[in-house]
Amino acid sequence: MLALVGIVATVWLALTDQLGLYINPASSWFAILMAIIGAVFVVAAFAWPPLDDEHASESDVSTPTPTPTPTPTPHARARVRGTRPEPVHEHEHAPSAPPGRIRTAQTAVIVVGATLALLVLPPATLTSAVASQRSINSEASAIDRDGAALVGGDTSSFTVKDWAVLLRQNPDVDTYTGTPVDVSGFVLASTEDSENVFYITRFVVTHCAIDAQPVGVPVYLPGWEEEYDADQWVEASGALTANPAGSATDPLVLVPDELDRIEEPSDPYVF
Amino acid sequence: MSRPQLRDARRDQRSPARPHTSGRQHHHGAIERPRGRAGLGLALGLGLVLFFVGIRVFAPEALGDLLSNTVQDFFTLSISVIIESLPFVFLGILLSIGVQVWLPDGFLLRHLPKNAVVRRVTLSLLGVLLPVCECGNVPLTRGLILRGLTVGESMTFLLAAPILNPVTIITTYQAFGWSDGILVSRILGGFVIANLIGWIYSRHPSPMSLLTPKFQASCAHAHDEVPASRSRRSVDMFAKETAAMMPALFVGSAIAGLIQVTVSRDVLLTLGQNPILSVFALMALAFVVAICSNVDAFFILAFGSTFMPGAIVAFLVFGPMIDVKMLALMRTTFTAKTLVQVTVVVGLASAALGLAVNTLA
Repeated sequence: MLALVGIVATVWLALTDQLGLYINPASSWFAILMAIIGAVFVVAAFAWPPLDDEHASESDVSTPTPTPTPTPTPHARARVRGTRPEPVHEHEHAPSAPPGRIRTAQTAVIVVGATLALLVLPPATLTSAVASQRSINSEASAIDRDGAALVGGDTSSFTVKDWAVLLRQNPDVDTYTGTPVDVSGFVLASTEDSENVFYITRFVVTHCAIDAQPVGVPVYLPGWEEEYDADQWVEASGALTANPAGSATDPLVLVPDELDRIEEPSDPYVF
Repeated sequence: MSRPQLRDARRDQRSPARPHTSGRQHHHGAIERPRGRAGLGLALGLGLVLFFVGIRVFAPEALGDLLSNTVQDFFTLSISVIIESLPFVFLGILLSIGVQVWLPDGFLLRHLPKNAVVRRVTLSLLGVLLPVCECGNVPLTRGLILRGLTVGESMTFLLAAPILNPVTIITTYQAFGWSDGILVSRILGGFVIANLIGWIYSRHPSPMSLLTPKFQASCAHAHDEVPASRSRRSVDMFAKETAAMMPALFVGSAIAGLIQVTVSRDVLLTLGQNPILSVFALMALAFVVAICSNVDAFFILAFGSTFMPGAIVAFLVFGPMIDVKMLALMRTTFTAKTLVQVTVVVGLASAALGLAVNTLA
């Protein structure tokens, strides 16, 4: 039952192209394949009632498995003893010995919670609450691996991640001053100079959203807080300039010519 | 609701001397079962699928806006753990089914070395052949115990496989190369700790008492012949294993998500520079982030310059063996007391390893 919730959620996310909100697309084939195999097994398990084997006595020893997936409930034993099987919907109910009732209630809570979380809530992107908890542009050498290739590369197709990697390598300020930048991401206040600087931020997801690391391009715009909220998705174009505030963390900043509010894109993460 | 249970209990009391129902009778029951029942079950299963799909498709879009950022992130992170682990748990269950249903009886026990130490060493290297993430290892370990391995041996496998597996080794190499002996310490450390735990529990007077009563009962009957087709038994096992694992996975993921949004990483990261505290800080981080062993190297690489190499080794050794999600999953099989002991031993050993690396580095 819980497995089904997960399976349906995975396949639906895959079909609507939103699996990338949770895991790196490189591994989505595996998730989808396993979900389909799992679905076949779960449905087959419904068709084949549980075998009358060891697990029938299992429920005598301790509380019965409370999950409503086919578990050996009384009718399983009843069948062993040659009586007529109970109707199949008995699967839905775990026996209600007092400890069993608590377990059943627990499972019910888990099933309802899982259904709410996975199936009822719309899929969402991580917000700036997480970004501010994980330090932005940290010494994430994970994203540095391809850093060398970026120097001197064609900057017109650079993503937020590419810029963040490049800028963290403390490139020569003069070389890059005036380089045009065109990026989109969500707004995250700078912790150091929040009045003048915010980051156009994206999460880098290596495997799944748990390991998401925020990366961002610093934007210099005094008084930006009056116009833009944190989490607002924006697209900015402009040129890199030496930071007028003379910050050591962000020697180069983007001074935007244009800064437009946009809708959150369907592929909010970079991989 | 309470009726069938009571009636059944009475019947049990009345016939205590009754011999264990033989396989033949089981078989009879299976054949005599009316055909329509399978159809009904199938319809029920498919109906449930449609029901869930229906919920998903018709759920109101705007609902997410009602939640605050933090609550929203809690759900996103928890869901992410579930979606990411689910395929591995399925794969683990499938492998476990392979071991239990499709391998000939006694195959494993026949082919493993007889000497207990050598056998545990072999088992800890089994992960090289079965590159399953740690969440998939729990169902597989259950299968191994049911197939006759001792609890200590299975634990060796459970703890070693996530580290001694090709995917983990490759990603760790990609992340750190040979620098500071991180890769070597991780592999050796994982190997030694897993065998240490296996050795400790091989000396336990009654190893079965380490298992939950429910799982003990499964073990007791594992060798009964079940006269049903192999595919039917596979499906049956899949249902039972998912029934056991799924609540644990979901609860574990929710806890992991909750900790992620409530515990600030800064607290842990500020401890990074102290050679002793950094080891414990990163072990605490490993415990709460519950990240897959296949990618934890990249994850911690992000903090590479902040932390000392010993702390990183402790993270990379402790994390795959013990974390909130793993404990929830392992609780399906082992008693809480056993898990506390294992956590303490693995924790102390990882800390010792980390401190040693820091001293040498």
